[in-house]
Amino acid sequence: MREVKLFLGPQHPGMHGNYSVHMYVDGDIINTARPTPGFLHRGFEKLMERRHWMGNLALIPRICVPEPDINEMVYAMGVEALAGIEVPEKAHWIRMLVLEMARIAVHVMGLGFIGGPTGMYTATYWAIAQRDLLLDLFEELTGARIYHMYIVPGGVRKDIPEGFAEKVLEKMDELESRIPEFEELILKHPVIHARAKDNILLPAEVVWELGVTGIGMRSSTGKKNDLRKVKPYARYDQVEFEVPTAEYSDALTRLNIKVKEIYQSIGIVRQVLAKMPEEGEVRVPVAPGNALRWTVPAGMVYSAVESNRGEYGYFIVSDGKEMPYRIAVRGASYPQGLMGVEKYLKGYRIDDASLWMDSMGVCSPEIDR
Amino acid sequence: MMNSMNKLIDEIRVTLKPLEILVPADRQIACIVEPGEVHRALAYLKSSGFAQLSILTCVDWIEDGEFELVYILMNWNEGIHVQLRARIDRNEPVFNTITHIYPGARYYEREVHEFFGIEFKGNEDSYKPLFLERWDAIPPLRKDFDPQAYSDSKFPMRDRDRVFKSRIGGTEDERS
Repeated sequence: MREVKLFLGPQHPGMHGNYSVHMYVDGDIINTARPTPGFLHRGFEKLMERRHWMGNLALIPRICVPEPDINEMVYAMGVEALAGIEVPEKAHWIRMLVLEMARIAVHVMGLGFIGGPTGMYTATYWAIAQRDLLLDLFEELTGARIYHMYIVPGGVRKDIPEGFAEKVLEKMDELESRIPEFEELILKHPVIHARAKDNILLPAEVVWELGVTGIGMRSSTGKKNDLRKVKPYARYDQVEFEVPTAEYSDALTRLNIKVKEIYQSIGIVRQVLAKMPEEGEVRVPVAPGNALRWTVPAGMVYSAVESNRGEYGYFIVSDGKEMPYRIAVRGASYPQGLMGVEKYLKGYRIDDASLWMDSMGVCSPEIDR
Repeated sequence: MMNSMNKLIDEIRVTLKPLEILVPADRQIACIVEPGEVHRALAYLKSSGFAQLSILTCVDWIEDGEFELVYILMNWNEGIHVQLRARIDRNEPVFNTITHIYPGARYYEREVHEFFGIEFKGNEDSYKPLFLERWDAIPPLRKDFDPQAYSDSKFPMRDRDRVFKSRIGGTEDERS
């Protein structure tokens, strides 16, 4: 049969954002796939060089649209390492609270969004509803629903409001009681089994070849390669949690791990609220006087955190001036989103392409920056 | 954990003889080498546990006339990051690919080529446009690229036939 060129995207149900794959198909088998990013390129790395260290706070959460808080955390960690700032104890715990709540929100959404490529939109609606309730909590804490700009160099913007901890705990209880319904709907569904089981494989050697991290790495190598465990930041060394792993990685395994991680994150949130100091500062002033005129000492540092999709890092260069000299972003899904698509999407069927994108956790805003 | 860091620093110092070795953050080593040493250093680090290339990027030191290539590697067993840095001449931005050591570098090299104009020999893809289709100016992340001027030249302000003079709190004349 004659080879036909087809376009997946820039709008399609497997992705959060605009990303296109040019596919050359024979019948319904993909022969060649060419990733085509650039639809979302907003030039953040250049823009950050032209803004003050504190002014960048408004920019960075937008680099990864579904999961903004990790950007704030990784930026704050890097700048604090350069400037030698010690963060107050309570701020570490509040940061962990925010990060884990964000992790739950994104994982719930990611779990439900498997409905996009498989055509089961009920799961998507349920997930969006659950995530929205979490966003209500964020709104109370930070004043914003999606882009919080809450974790800043030196701590967090404000202390948690009175009665907030109870609301979070209540929400966590409710969420924990709802997750089994998700499992019933998604993980035990015959359609999901037919589509996801033994499909979209990710062998361990591909993980090492591409540099895949996160759930992809843990599900195929069986190693507990989670930065929260391997290289703890904030106070992750003082809470107990398991890192779910597997030895065989197909789309269903990765979905299962996602669910297990939601339970672990709920556990972390509870521990954080129990162990968080009652009193104390949440933010230290980074500079005497105007924080916008703050100059960060010269240096180069790489900071990384564990995002939902894996290692998420910033390489921050300062030349001792009021603005960063250069910031490079390592998007967690960069390896699988570009080289993975080119090398390993071929051989799958057309209808599995968006499932491939979804279950590999490709997130286009962090590839495009 | 500090022991493994110190041991690694000593090993790197003996094996690679770097120009400089720094500890910029907790569990992170910055190792600055000559550009000719980069491939040997990467091969050595990969064999000693740094199995993952986290990112390859570049810094434009325009005042020194140099590009600094930055390879960030991760050792998942120890939880240590290494920055391997080397400076190349800005007027002759050519370097050899590292895709035979870290295959995942292919797209990072392509991106650095696109945004800094550094050519990676041996990476046959690196000249193809990736993010910036039909780009017609100098590579945009170089320091001498001015996004404001580029934007003004690409999207000039339109002439309007009607000029709005009025402003809040203005005089009667201005409002007419």
